[in-house]
Amino acid sequence: MRGRAPQAEGTCRVSALTTGTPVAEAVRTPAEPPAAPATVRALGGRTLRRNRAHVLAGVVLLSLHQAAEALVPVAIGLTIDWAVVPGDVRALAVCVAGTAVLFTVLATAYRTGARFTLRAVENEAHLLRVEAARRALDPRGERSGLRAGEVLSVATSDAEQAAQYVRAWSSAIAVAVAIIVTTVALLAVDVPLGLGVLVGVPLLMLLLRFPAARITRRSEAKQATAAGATALATDLVSGLRVLMGINARHNAANRYREASTRALEASVGAAASNGLYRGLVTAASAVFLACVAGTAGWMALNGRLSVGELVIVVGLAQFLAEPVQALGMVGQLFATARASARRLVRLLNAPDAVTPGNRSCGEEPLVALTGVGYRTLRDVDLELAPGELVGVVTTDPRDAEALLELLSGRAEPEEVRGTVTVGGVPVHELGLDALRGAVLVEEHGAALFEGSLRSNLAVGTDAGEPRLLEALRSAAAEDLVSGHSQGLDRPIADRAANLSGGQRQRVALARALAADPPVLVLHDPTTAVDAVTEEAIARGVAAARAGTVPARATLVVANSPALLARADRVVVLVRGRVRRTGTHARLVEEDQAYGEAVLR
Amino acid sequence: MSTSADTSAPAHGELLPTASARRTWSVLGGAVRRTGWHTPLALATVLAGSAAGLVAPWLLGRMVDEVSAGGGLDAVLAPAAVIAVAGVLGGLLTGLGGWLVSRVGETVLARLRERVMDRVLRMPAARLERVRIGDLLSRVGDDVAVVTASIARNGPEVVVALATVVLTGAGMTALDWRLGLAGMLSLPVYALAVRWYLPRSGPYYARERVAMGERSHAMMGALRGRGTVRAYRLEDEHAGRVAERSREAMDITVAVFRLFTRFGSRLNAAECVGLTSVLVVGFWLVRGDLATVGMVTAAALYFHRLFGPLIFLVMNFNEVQSAGASLARLAGVADLPEEPDAGAGEGPADSSVRVESVSHSYGTGAPPALDGVSLTVAPGERVALVGASGAGKTTLAALVSGLRAPTSGTVYLGGIPLDELGERRVREHVFLVSQETHVFAGPLLEDLRLARAGATPAEAEAALETVGALEWVRALPEGLDTVVGEGGHALTAEQAQHLALARLVLADPDVAVLDEATAEAGSSGARNLERAAAAATAGRTTLVVAHRLTQAQTADRVVVMDRGRIVEQGAHADLVAADGRYAALWRSWQGGVDQGERVC
Repeated sequence: MRGRAPQAEGTCRVSALTTGTPVAEAVRTPAEPPAAPATVRALGGRTLRRNRAHVLAGVVLLSLHQAAEALVPVAIGLTIDWAVVPGDVRALAVCVAGTAVLFTVLATAYRTGARFTLRAVENEAHLLRVEAARRALDPRGERSGLRAGEVLSVATSDAEQAAQYVRAWSSAIAVAVAIIVTTVALLAVDVPLGLGVLVGVPLLMLLLRFPAARITRRSEAKQATAAGATALATDLVSGLRVLMGINARHNAANRYREASTRALEASVGAAASNGLYRGLVTAASAVFLACVAGTAGWMALNGRLSVGELVIVVGLAQFLAEPVQALGMVGQLFATARASARRLVRLLNAPDAVTPGNRSCGEEPLVALTGVGYRTLRDVDLELAPGELVGVVTTDPRDAEALLELLSGRAEPEEVRGTVTVGGVPVHELGLDALRGAVLVEEHGAALFEGSLRSNLAVGTDAGEPRLLEALRSAAAEDLVSGHSQGLDRPIADRAANLSGGQRQRVALARALAADPPVLVLHDPTTAVDAVTEEAIARGVAAARAGTVPARATLVVANSPALLARADRVVVLVRGRVRRTGTHARLVEEDQAYGEAVLR
Repeated sequence: MSTSADTSAPAHGELLPTASARRTWSVLGGAVRRTGWHTPLALATVLAGSAAGLVAPWLLGRMVDEVSAGGGLDAVLAPAAVIAVAGVLGGLLTGLGGWLVSRVGETVLARLRERVMDRVLRMPAARLERVRIGDLLSRVGDDVAVVTASIARNGPEVVVALATVVLTGAGMTALDWRLGLAGMLSLPVYALAVRWYLPRSGPYYARERVAMGERSHAMMGALRGRGTVRAYRLEDEHAGRVAERSREAMDITVAVFRLFTRFGSRLNAAECVGLTSVLVVGFWLVRGDLATVGMVTAAALYFHRLFGPLIFLVMNFNEVQSAGASLARLAGVADLPEEPDAGAGEGPADSSVRVESVSHSYGTGAPPALDGVSLTVAPGERVALVGASGAGKTTLAALVSGLRAPTSGTVYLGGIPLDELGERRVREHVFLVSQETHVFAGPLLEDLRLARAGATPAEAEAALETVGALEWVRALPEGLDTVVGEGGHALTAEQAQHLALARLVLADPDVAVLDEATAEAGSSGARNLERAAAAATAGRTTLVVAHRLTQAQTADRVVVMDRGRIVEQGAHADLVAADGRYAALWRSWQGGVDQGERVC
């Protein structure tokens, strides 16, 4: 609102210093946790740092587990060498005891290590989930450019995926340890053979990397088509009554059959590349095993290796395939965690949609717009004094939308000409709490929350039962309580799915009335109710808002004649400008266009 | 919003059937049989692939014996070569087998989900009114996804692992039956582990699912209602609720995992028992000259090779079980009777509608929603139903459109009772646009094509033009090809309703029933929609549930209802002049201030 002109750079900076960002930051720093990580790498770093005890313990123990797994073939070879070949019973007893110890270590290490790792993963997912939810709900809003549905998926699935970063790291290290232990064991048996395996394994990995990348792409495509078919199914079923009404169920069934067939083709295609990859891995590791076995057998023939050592070498070569394949999976895990982390970082670091000030309201929360231009609005003057009920009629829904954005403090000061004040203070200088404490904007189609009728009504107020019931009466919604055995405690489902459209609208209105804010802005509060109920609501709202001390101000943005007839004043907005102001009765008489707009 | 919405509260609907285990198997078996020779071929290939995998350990054992006996270089190179060849062959067969198994599984699943979707889409209206929409959604959504994922991800691997376990067991027994028996000593330990785990984990997993559901409810509720959360300063409360539920879910997940890792340790114990038994038994066999060191080596390597597949099978027990549960739910729907064909009887003579002394009540003992209503609508006539909530308007509309059958009395279409016509024929003639709107996800043109498959863009545009929606559709980012609905470009309530009317135009029915089609559009849009509705129904026999009295004003006849009865009817002007109930309603609608003598 101030410093809008581009040439007034100096003023702009001054005003920013006094009212803009720095002040807001100063206000929020103490209450706020340190800033979110700005990059994927930083997010990953914080993940490891803040879970370091669990991550570290997990990595050490899982590595121990992998090392123990690698030693199982060694144990087999040693048993054969020491006990079976010479037929030594005491050696057998030692070997059996050793194997039991090895398995005990293996099992304990896995059990404890996996628990530590899971705890770290879950804890991180929890922290990220809550952080994302807080960011998304922050009253300053966010400009991440993510759609509403995307924000939801960032806060749910991406938070979980990004936490898998922990698992990716500990698996990577544990698998590397397994490979190292195997290599060391091989080197201990025979150096050239160990070196050969050491060179052979990475070569094999490299060879299998290309089909693996291809297979990942194909299976992603497959998942996308399968998810697409499922989404189509749920979408069609959500609109089933609509389909039934227009006899479109046959077309819908055909459409689903096509999508399902596409998903089938994609799945079979992915299965083909999957099978190819699996075949390649099996064949390649068998050829590798054959080479190792041939060489080791030849060495055994020459007496360079004992029989048991031959078994060890072969067993280790067989075992190696597992960690090598696991390494490929770890790569995938890192990739998905990183992709999710990228979206999370985008949300967490999204700039605020508004930068509120820190002033509080004056005594009387009088709302005044002077010469305001914003979006479609042009040069609008509007005043709302305590005790008043003012109606606003718009012919273009965008005008109503712009007005609501201004009053709820969502408009960017740079885009606003003129001044909008509440209690004498420009809105953008008001603290968010001060503004929201003074002005409650009840949007059309406001949400209700899962819980009970009581929990939905008693938000933003500590009012007792009598006031909640009175608010319901004023919103012509007492039938919701009187007609129900649980009264105010009747359950409200997610998205209030167990209420009809009209009931939802009336409950939302009752909630706004119960909150009893100094200034209440209602947008189209009666579109889903019948004319009789609408009349009752108009009466109830006017009485509820007038009957309190100190007097409350109400702005109704609607074209409902029942509501407008009770307003002290009606302001008519046409093409963004105030065209007329007067009482409903007078406007009906004098303004034909008005009559057309509201007298349906 | 009226009686119907209140009585058919979705939370208390009935569940669709779930098939018994036997029935599920037979549905599945039937589907598998339909794939013909594909299934035996797939199984044979997988078995052959697994058999090829047996070659390597066996030859390695032989190699050990040859080396001990001091054989020549051939004794080493020949087995190595055979191992390589068998490995390549095995890889080929395993890959091919995996693909074939996937193809069979995916095909069976695709046909099953198509059948399920078909039954759901063509469900008789009476049943649809009774079932929970959430149940329908979870069948076509979650259940299909669970089964798809488990078939796609694990199907081939489960089959391959099973084949490996069976064949390796056979291979060990073939070496020496005592070695085979020693390996099988591990089976009871595995069985005990599973028996210990499953009954304990089941309830935990159920609790985990509930907790996760609660968590996502809290998250979705808060994020979907972001605007409301901010307006009422509920950020902290909602973020707190998300955090609390997230923590609860996390605690359960950690507890479940503890149990799981204990299970893992038991599986390790089974491995240890099996491996040690093989070695110990082998030791005595070698000492007694009943077996060679090579055979014992082969047996030990065989058993070591089984670790992976056995753990995989046991750990997937849960998943297989939950896929089985989902499968039973799918089979239950697939088993629903098919929609009967339209009878060959006489079609309606014209598009007249006659309601003859119809009464209806929702459930026994409930007060009648309709009480002896008779009404005749001439072909092409436009009748508006007027009355307060609960007057029976919506019920009458539902009876005329055949969505419900009246408790007593008859509805005729073109002189033929609806129940004689059969649901399919009724649906072909009577179209309903209800207050429930749904924008189908995808390109806007595809949404319209649900009403008329294969409609050209020109036809679609003509329909949009008729309802006055072409202008805004053209202004969309990609016009007719703009992706709308869930995840796409968000349409306003008014635009969604426009779309519903355009579908009606494309479908071109004889009889149209409009139930509060203009509600929820906001006041400025309602007028537009009324014009659109009038254009869309021009020339059709039309029954309008008038939410706004302007809809009544433009109708050929107005029918005023009160408490399930028709109390007044006639042309708008006549009724206003008669100064009865309708006249009073009309005055109030126009915003007259004389509300004292409200009748309804």
